[in-house]
Amino acid sequence: MIQRKVSIILENKPGALVRVVGLFHQRGYNIESLHVDPVNDLTKYKYVEKNLNIKLKEGEVSHLIISTTVNDNLLRQILRQINKLIDVLIAEEVK
Amino acid sequence: MKLAGNDILIQSLINEGVEYIFGYPGGAALHIYDAIFKQNKMEHILVRHEQGATHAADGYARATGKPGVVLVTSGPGATNAITGIATAFMDSIPMVVISGQVAKHLIGTDAFQETDMIGISRPIVKHSFTVESAENIPEIVKQAFYIATSGRPGPVVIDVPKDTTAPDKLFEFNYPDEVNIRSYSPPIDPEKNQIERAVEAIIASEKPVIYAGGGAINSNASSELIKLNEILNFPVTNTLMGLGVYPATDERFLGMLGMHGTYQANMAMHNADLIIAIGARFDDRITNTPKLFAPNAKIIHFDVDHSSVSKIIEANIAVFGQVKNSLNEIIKLCELKKEMINTKKISSWKNQIKEWKKSHGLNHDMYLEDSDDSPIMPQAVVQHVYNITEGKAFVTSDVGQHQMFAAQYYHFDEPRKWINSGGLGTMGFGLPSAMGVKLAFPNDEVVCITGEGSIQMCIQELSTCTQYNLPIKIININNEALGMVKQWQDMNYGGRHSESTYQSSLPNFIELVESYGHVGIKIEKNSELKSQLERAFSLKDKLVFVDVYVDPDEHVYPMLVAPNGSLKDMWLDKETKT
Ligand SMILES: Cc1ncc(C[n+]2csc(CCOP(=O)(O)OP(=O)(O)O)c2C)c(N)n1
Ligand SMILES: [Mg+2]
Repeated sequence: MIQRKVSIILENKPGALVRVVGLFHQRGYNIESLHVDPVNDLTKYKYVEKNLNIKLKEGEVSHLIISTTVNDNLLRQILRQINKLIDVLIAEEVK
Repeated sequence: MKLAGNDILIQSLINEGVEYIFGYPGGAALHIYDAIFKQNKMEHILVRHEQGATHAADGYARATGKPGVVLVTSGPGATNAITGIATAFMDSIPMVVISGQVAKHLIGTDAFQETDMIGISRPIVKHSFTVESAENIPEIVKQAFYIATSGRPGPVVIDVPKDTTAPDKLFEFNYPDEVNIRSYSPPIDPEKNQIERAVEAIIASEKPVIYAGGGAINSNASSELIKLNEILNFPVTNTLMGLGVYPATDERFLGMLGMHGTYQANMAMHNADLIIAIGARFDDRITNTPKLFAPNAKIIHFDVDHSSVSKIIEANIAVFGQVKNSLNEIIKLCELKKEMINTKKISSWKNQIKEWKKSHGLNHDMYLEDSDDSPIMPQAVVQHVYNITEGKAFVTSDVGQHQMFAAQYYHFDEPRKWINSGGLGTMGFGLPSAMGVKLAFPNDEVVCITGEGSIQMCIQELSTCTQYNLPIKIININNEALGMVKQWQDMNYGGRHSESTYQSSLPNFIELVESYGHVGIKIEKNSELKSQLERAFSLKDKLVFVDVYVDPDEHVYPMLVAPNGSLKDMWLDKETKT
């Protein structure tokens, strides 16, 4: 098992972050580090707009990076669980 | 049109087509209750405990497919609703729960009846909302109903601070026609190549089984499943949650699988070379030890929820989409390729399954016993109820041995007729859920098969049944014990019945139900069982509580051997293991 980084773009709404963090605890996954920023510079996130066919505005979404040590299967399961959260736009592994 | 927040909320629900709202008033919800008083489009059902409200809404939702709606006050009202929300969550039942909350300026001050409902309910809801202003209510309600009912359904909580429903501030009311949540798009149609791969696997199979669960019911895919199997002619098993999605009286039906599944269903799953999972999630009551599960089977998994696939058992072929749509696609392709199915090999597989059924299948003739020398068997009670209701009743249940006997011996030919708490296993579910079903289907027979332990967990709802005149039939399979607990203690704890019996503290159920204005019938002898049950069902306009004293030592079999067992490892009776 190696440490992986999960990158999550989510709506910048009250309660959105705690849903992600709560999910880790609820499903028994460990959080080793966590970093969150509101997204003000959208240039890096064109792919989100393209994938979801939407237009983002400054400050509307946050970018969350969580690291956790898991195997491939569990990582896939974690990503699917996070993507299922209603306020999450995209969750993926940072390669 | 200008309305106050409380009227906006109620009008929004009416716009969603809500016919019943199950609830209980209190301070933080009083503005909302005033708005309920002023309208007559939606009926409020006043329960006796908020848990009852959630289960009633849940029963309504399971029977109709429409979302159940609940209204509770803040604090204890909200916390009392938690068990019912968790029950709906575990079984993916669409529900919208509106909880009153203290006014916004009081939040965080430990105000009277303040609890963080959003926080408490977070792990057991599909999503939740806090109303910030009355103006947002229509949008939130629209989104809540959409989220609760689409994709994999589930409960949604809307927490409503009291000031946002104040009657003295008016806002323009417009209910949105459409809803679009950019971060939420559940899959609908399957990918074509997955359907093709699934059909290839079907053609290659010699020992196939269809394993269908509650997801197939949620997706209203029963007729598609039947149509698919008209082409395939495969053996079919259902999970506890899936009973009725495939007709139980069809000769290809093997019965329920899993912990208390039939011998033939569990053996077929264990020995299969192909398992077609349809809206089923391989939970631990199905797989037994996952590593030992169906060692030779390829798995095709149809589901709407990505996170359910390959969670416990790796799927070889995953078909994401609304199960109904996916089945429609596969039906088309199977129709074209049906000649290629290996009917010869599959026919000897079916013969093998028939042998299994013959050797250790359930005995469905226990109702024939009428001698008073032997105690009433709980299985026989269910068999009589099945015969008397001609298999057409809605049957709700609680949790324990009686639930398993109901699942094993009432043959459900239609979906949404079997209403039970499968995932959470909530004692107390049976009676209130039956109320929700009866309100939705007043002309149908609604039976609650319960135990003397479970029924006491929401027995206060007998009063609700009086108020709204709900002539449910309650069959109390009375073994004077927490039978399922006792069974485990018999099997795993040397027969030490730690806290699973009540000495002689049980109420006189007959007098109890009579005090609510209902009819009580006590049955203690085999010779009276049939006639007294018939009498109960002949009292059409009455809630009848039948208190049947059954063999207190009976166990539910088959039962999977755990831990470290596979699906072929079963107890078949008290002495015999496979
Ligand atoms: C709320 C709740 N508490 C505890 C349990 C654990 N439990 C499962 S079955 C059972 C016994 C149920 O007794 P009864 O309703 O009389 O049914 P029986 O098994 O006797 O048919 C218990 C205590 C549960 N499922 N739900
Ligand atoms: Mg009991």
